[in-house]
Amino acid sequence: MIELYAISDDPAPPDPPLRAVPCGRLTALCGPASEGAVTAETLWRHEEIVEGLMETRNVLPVRFGTVLEDERAAARAVSGRDAQLTASLDRVRGAVELAVRAQPREPSRDAPGRWGTGRDYIAAKRRRTAEIRMVRESLATAARDSVVQTESEHLRAAYLVDRDAVDDFARLVRRVQRAHPGLDVLCTGPWPPYSFAEAGEPA
Amino acid sequence: MRDKVLAGPLELDPFAPDRERLENTLTRRVNADPESVERGLAQLVLTIVELLRQLMERQALRRIDGGTLSEEQIERLGRTFMELDRRMEELREEFGLTEEDLNLDLGPLGRLL
Repeated sequence: MIELYAISDDPAPPDPPLRAVPCGRLTALCGPASEGAVTAETLWRHEEIVEGLMETRNVLPVRFGTVLEDERAAARAVSGRDAQLTASLDRVRGAVELAVRAQPREPSRDAPGRWGTGRDYIAAKRRRTAEIRMVRESLATAARDSVVQTESEHLRAAYLVDRDAVDDFARLVRRVQRAHPGLDVLCTGPWPPYSFAEAGEPA
Repeated sequence: MRDKVLAGPLELDPFAPDRERLENTLTRRVNADPESVERGLAQLVLTIVELLRQLMERQALRRIDGGTLSEEQIERLGRTFMELDRRMEELREEFGLTEEDLNLDLGPLGRLL
């Protein structure tokens, strides 16, 4: 069994034990499938392999746990979706994913008089959703694309950012954090562009 | 593990529940003892209740924006939602569930809440 790590249009062979499997115009980057129980360490290992590949080429990252029979099966799976995968690869070319989380910095949830009147409660809800929306919108201006997973009082979003614009994006996050002292804003990365790899696939 | 934080608060504890959730997912086993079955059921029921609560709350905010409600009605709505919010918190605590536990990952559709 082999595990699929990433898809690229660069046929250069990766460091062993990874192998480049030609699939028409594309290349599937595979390695021996990991065995045993899934732990945080195995997830990190997968992540490190994909990130290693990402350092030297443009890749479409494949999610953890994509195991195939053999290289022929991998070639078939990739060639069959050639056009879609090429379009997705073009979309993420030269960019990485940055993950952003923002949430209200709360005084302890059971602090007495947290809200006061019904009006206060509604006003607090509004302030929070408006603040989260502002954060999302200002960050989107510095990204090529974005995917919002949740947004109301908490923001969980992925931004597709040009490789050479990562530092600028991080600076913007810090500015946004200063402008919204009532929120905790966390930005992590750079990650392989997982959230943008599957766009254009049939639902 | 390498440091992946590009920008964030000094204290990352507020974001810690996510990690706990990941660890729970990784080590989850089919566990049929009565207590965990009860907790699983509570999690499912509370997830639905939380979804309805949030939908109603958003709907109420839209009605308030519509400007057709009196001051008194707005105050009453606010109080009702405040009470619901508080009650949900108590129920979550009772069953040892976090806010994130009441969110379902619907894969390509995103998250429920």
